Amino acid sequence: MSSTQKEPLLALNPADYLTLTMDEEIRQENMPGSLCGYALELEKTPDIHALNKRILEFGERFPLAYASLQQRSKRFFWFEREYKHQLFIQHHAPSNVNESAFHHTTITRLLNHKEPRATLAPISFHLIQSDHKTTLLLRWMHPFCDAKGTGLILQYLCTDSAEQRRTFDFPKQASLVNQQLGKYKWWQKIRFFFNAKRYITQLDKLQSIIHADTSLTPKALNFNTYTLTQAQTQTINKLSRQQVGMTGTSLYYIGCLMRALHKMNPEQTGDAYCTPYAFNLRKNKALSPLLGNHVGALFAQAPKAILHDRDALFQHLKQQHVQVIREKLDYAFLPVMWAASWLSLQRHGQELRKSYASGTERSSFWFSDIGQVDLSTTSLFGSKITQVFHLCQITSPPALAFLSCQFNDRLTLSYNFIEPLFTPQWIQQLHEQVLVELLTP
Amino acid sequence: MKQKIRTFIFDELIFVAEPDSFSDDADLLEAGLDSMGIMRLIMFIEEQFGVTLPDAEIDPDNVKSFNALEQWILGHQK
Repeated sequence: MSSTQKEPLLALNPADYLTLTMDEEIRQENMPGSLCGYALELEKTPDIHALNKRILEFGERFPLAYASLQQRSKRFFWFEREYKHQLFIQHHAPSNVNESAFHHTTITRLLNHKEPRATLAPISFHLIQSDHKTTLLLRWMHPFCDAKGTGLILQYLCTDSAEQRRTFDFPKQASLVNQQLGKYKWWQKIRFFFNAKRYITQLDKLQSIIHADTSLTPKALNFNTYTLTQAQTQTINKLSRQQVGMTGTSLYYIGCLMRALHKMNPEQTGDAYCTPYAFNLRKNKALSPLLGNHVGALFAQAPKAILHDRDALFQHLKQQHVQVIREKLDYAFLPVMWAASWLSLQRHGQELRKSYASGTERSSFWFSDIGQVDLSTTSLFGSKITQVFHLCQITSPPALAFLSCQFNDRLTLSYNFIEPLFTPQWIQQLHEQVLVELLTP
Repeated sequence: MKQKIRTFIFDELIFVAEPDSFSDDADLLEAGLDSMGIMRLIMFIEEQFGVTLPDAEIDPDNVKSFNALEQWILGHQK
């Protein structure tokens, strides 16, 4: 029986369409689509046999790992496919090679892999090995899961008790977007919808500043990662609490990046820096849902005019955030996401991602902070995990994504950028400015 | 008051396998209450109990447990 006649394994939920839209936009630029990565650097080679066995068990437990994403009429569904792809792949460095360069090149090659959406593996696990360095990379495509879901997959792999592994699961009921929406009466949803539209219209009165050289054609994703010391991380955590309080840690990183970008070129065209950041609809510490996207979108925007004043900038970002939560504008985006999921991917982008005023990219950069990485363990099949970082493909513009996380009390910043719209040297200079901003009282 | 807060936190913000056995002194931050959750919790408390909790007092000591939260709220109720 061909996949066209089969019943789908699962339909996409409204939040999946947001990430699928990103995938489509990236593909339209002749780039690979929305491929993402979660990389663990390991102290030594883990027990490969045990790791492979656990990964295969994951595939059996969650057959979506082998599925094919296909469109039927206006909607998208996961279908079972005839042949299963290899879930676990090993990459060995040739002898006498620069080990760091080998790992970096292998990761970028995997993240720049081009393949049609319907045949691309939703997730694959790559063990990259050289004499003194080992990296485990989870590569997945949006909308298979979100970053939090990948964290849960890793937690699943690291959980030794079979009984505990059974507690990891799919959504038991409707998607979390629909569950949240279900709490409100129909007129409240309509009110939310218009509140969100008004909020977006207000944001779009200011043209976003974008630093990428958009006269150039996007060629490939590259990344620079930096792991700070425990002392630096402690200082940043302390300064973040002083500036934005306990309730806005991510805003500290966002504000610092905005100021650093501004310093790189204060004359860059545009009125304001604007970034979307996702919030997780799962309860914290919940082991489910593992797969699918369960996020809502929020925006941080700061006019150019206040960037010179650090205190004013953080005050502004915090007030904006408080207003969003107080007026439930975060939940207000959910009906927009739900409604837009019935549109074509192009229209979806126009409703949720592009500027209403100009039809161009709203984001000055993409941002994701997954906070403290909680794997419930610091080792993976006998090997200590020394570092964790994230990766993601991006549309061009903005051609820049800033991803952060803390692991073992150390902050890691991952700058993902599209070449040649940005260069590694420019990103290195940007990071130096970011570091000054993060560490300056 | 404590029961309402318990219900909100366990229904909306953090997952614990057995909410009933989560004590009033247990560490909510350890259990997964994060910055976004604290923000939502404060909005909920202000709405439900008619208090205004000053930003400057949002620190781990005031939000670390149900007992700490209760004390904090009582200190601002007229």
